Amino acid sequence: MPRKTTRTAVDLLITLLLWAYYFAAFVFFFFPAYGAAALFASDREHAFQNLNCIFYRCFFAYLKLLMPGVTISIAPEVYAVRSSIVIANHLSFLDPILLLSLFRQHKTIVRSDFFKVPIFGWVLKSAGYLSPSLAQDSDAPDLMEQVKAMRAYLASGGNLFIFPEGTRSRTGAIGPFEKGAFTIAKLCRAPVSVLRIENTHRVYPPDSFFFKTGETVEIRISLAGSIEPAPKNETICISDMMRQARALLEGTGTHKP
Amino acid sequence: MTREEIRSEIIAICSREFEMENPDPEDDLREKFGFDSIDGIELLIQIEKMLQTELTQEEKKQSLNIRTINQVCDYIETIMKAREG
Repeated sequence: MPRKTTRTAVDLLITLLLWAYYFAAFVFFFFPAYGAAALFASDREHAFQNLNCIFYRCFFAYLKLLMPGVTISIAPEVYAVRSSIVIANHLSFLDPILLLSLFRQHKTIVRSDFFKVPIFGWVLKSAGYLSPSLAQDSDAPDLMEQVKAMRAYLASGGNLFIFPEGTRSRTGAIGPFEKGAFTIAKLCRAPVSVLRIENTHRVYPPDSFFFKTGETVEIRISLAGSIEPAPKNETICISDMMRQARALLEGTGTHKP
Repeated sequence: MTREEIRSEIIAICSREFEMENPDPEDDLREKFGFDSIDGIELLIQIEKMLQTELTQEEKKQSLNIRTINQVCDYIETIMKAREG
C-alpha cells in the first residue's frame, strides 16, 4: 500500500477513535455524573464546568495516547489565571476544548444553535455558558442576565474565555477582533488575560475532518500578558484595550504576566 | 423626559460608552459603528439605569430590531408609556 494511503487510513482510524471517545465516555461515564450534578450539586453551574473540564482532560490524555508524537506544554502562569476575561488566538477546533480542560471554573460563549442540540444543549446551559444572541425565543440563556451576573462570577475566581477573532485563522496571522470580550471586561472592570496558542492547527487543521497523526508536535499555551482594568473613576477605552491585546498576541506589546 | 432629552442622553451614552463620534440619529449603529449584541446588552443596562426600572423579557425581545438612535428613542418612549399606563 502506498505510504500516503497508509497515512490517510491511520489518520481516519485515529480520528474515528477520538470521536468515539465523545460518545462512549459521555454515555458510559459522564452522563451519570452530569445527572448526579443536576440533581444534587449545590452549585450546579460550577459542578458542570468542573465535569466539562475533567471530560476534556481525559480527551487530551486519550489523544496523547493515540498520538504519541503530540505533547502539550502549558506555562505554569496560565493555570494561575483567575477572575479574568481570557482571550486567545484561534487556530483549530481543539483550542476551545483545550481551554475548557485547563480551568475548572470557566464560562465561554457558544453558538446559539448549539443550545438547541438535545443533551449537549442542556450541558451547555447547565454550565452557564453564554449565547451571543439576545433572542429570548430560542433555547439560549438570557444573555443580559448572564452579563449582569458576570461580575460576581469573575469575583468568585471564574474565568470567561473568548476568541475575539471569532473564527480560526487559516494563515496563523491574527485576524480582526470583535469587541464583545472587551466590552464585557469593561462592564465588569475585569482584567483581560491574553493567551497565545501554538500548533493546535498542526494536530487538527481547520477545514479538515481528519486529525494529522503522523507529526511530532508540541502544542504550547503561554500567557502573552495581562491588561489590568482602569481605576473606578477612569473611563475605559475599548479600542485601546483591543490594540494592547493585539500587540501582546503579536509579540509587540509589553509582557505583564 | 421629553423626546429631546431622551435623544441627548442616548447620544451622550453612545459617545461615552461606545466611543461613537458625532452619531447621527438616523445612522445604522451596526453598519456604521459595528454595534454588536454585547453592545446591545450594555445599552439595555444603561436604559435600565436611565429609567430606573428593569426591562421585561418582552421588552428585551422588542429591542432586537433596533438599528438607529431614533429607534432607541421610540423604544424608550414606548417603555415609559407602558410604565405610566
